[in-house]
Amino acid sequence: MRWLLHILLPILAIFLQSTFFSSYSIKGAVPDLLLILVIFFSLLGPRKQAPLYGFCCGLFEDLYMGRFIGLNAISKAITAFLLSHLQENVFKENILVGMTAVFIGTVLNSGLVLLLSLFKFKGIHWDDSVFMTIIFQTLYNALLSGPLYIWYYNSSHYGVLRDPEVR
Amino acid sequence: MLKLLRSKFLWLILLILLSAVGLMIFGASGYTEGKNFGPLQVVYAPLHRAVSGITNGFSNFSSIFSNKKALQAQVAQMQQQLDALQMENQSLKEYQSEAGRLQKLLAFRDTNIGTMKLLAAHVIARSPNNWYKNVSIDRGSQDGVTKGMPIICPEGLIGRVTYVTAHSAQVTLITDREIAVGAILEKDRETGGIVEGFGNNTELRMQNIPFYSKIQVYDTVVTSDLSQTYPKGIPIGTVTEVVKEPGGLLLKASLKPAVDFDRLEEVLVIMSYNPQQVPQQEVKR
Repeated sequence: MRWLLHILLPILAIFLQSTFFSSYSIKGAVPDLLLILVIFFSLLGPRKQAPLYGFCCGLFEDLYMGRFIGLNAISKAITAFLLSHLQENVFKENILVGMTAVFIGTVLNSGLVLLLSLFKFKGIHWDDSVFMTIIFQTLYNALLSGPLYIWYYNSSHYGVLRDPEVR
Repeated sequence: MLKLLRSKFLWLILLILLSAVGLMIFGASGYTEGKNFGPLQVVYAPLHRAVSGITNGFSNFSSIFSNKKALQAQVAQMQQQLDALQMENQSLKEYQSEAGRLQKLLAFRDTNIGTMKLLAAHVIARSPNNWYKNVSIDRGSQDGVTKGMPIICPEGLIGRVTYVTAHSAQVTLITDREIAVGAILEKDRETGGIVEGFGNNTELRMQNIPFYSKIQVYDTVVTSDLSQTYPKGIPIGTVTEVVKEPGGLLLKASLKPAVDFDRLEEVLVIMSYNPQQVPQQEVKR
């Protein structure tokens, strides 16, 4: 049931991003719910499986988009790997930890996407619009992550996402 | 008997009776109709008004209590009706807006029926991330849509089909980094360049413009006939800024797209077109 939900949540996230949230973009930026899920998994899920989960979620997004397969898979896997190291060093009960992790994770992931895009595109226009998109997406993600973190934390400790072997 | 006749009281009664009879006869004759008996009314009117005001006020006050339940039910019913009407109004506004857009599409299709075969489609989804600019439409291979077909709307060029399923297709917008469109200026149809997207739905870039070009701000840029993908003459955008490239031999321009990509709802797929003819932009905006 736990893993079924871990599979269904990214599917739901992509669906919401492409329909509901695309109509409520802020300055053209839509939130990356999939990335939020990966970051939460990295903080609250099994640490060693976080990069794999990030990779699978990113790959799923790449396959959905049908372009530059591997871009999101690699960027989300690296983001998950780096953030999973915070697991034992932060006070995860605090909602601000979740929001801060999403803030840092979004900036990190955006940087990785831009860096990896260099392999595909001959040059990236480093203009204001790129930075504005990153800023607005980061703020949007951080804002949404507040209520989502409460649900994810409760679910992973007391609800359907709880790992019976660990706790 | 004489004693009775001497009684003043009797004469007073008789006088009153006679006066009453006289007044009745006088009144019945119609003489008093329409006559003004103002002085009496002047005296009574304020009293009447005061009494009437008090009785009406009391009547209204008491009716508040007696009709409270009925009024509450009526208010609830009217609130329900108001809610229903507001929803209906919103729905009608939505239909009105959609009808306007469809009318525009239809007019555009009719205008270009000789030059292009067009298929109308709805936008059903957008890109889930910020790095790719694409939308999904509700027409696929079963409707005859194939990869590479240009997508337009009455305002201008939108993009081209990059992926097709049986009942849907993915359209990459011209604002995407992977799309480049051969373009010319509408006014002289000579100055050529390449319009590229860079992931921003509100801006495009036109590159490789010759240094001798007369390109100016507010010029309209349209598709050129050099492109194998797009019919020529479709509006792409309006020039907002022109600058020299570092080498000085070429110019580059910023464009404001002709289409509002954030509000795309209905589009037209160009199924086939006659490359010799320029599409007509006769739709009134």
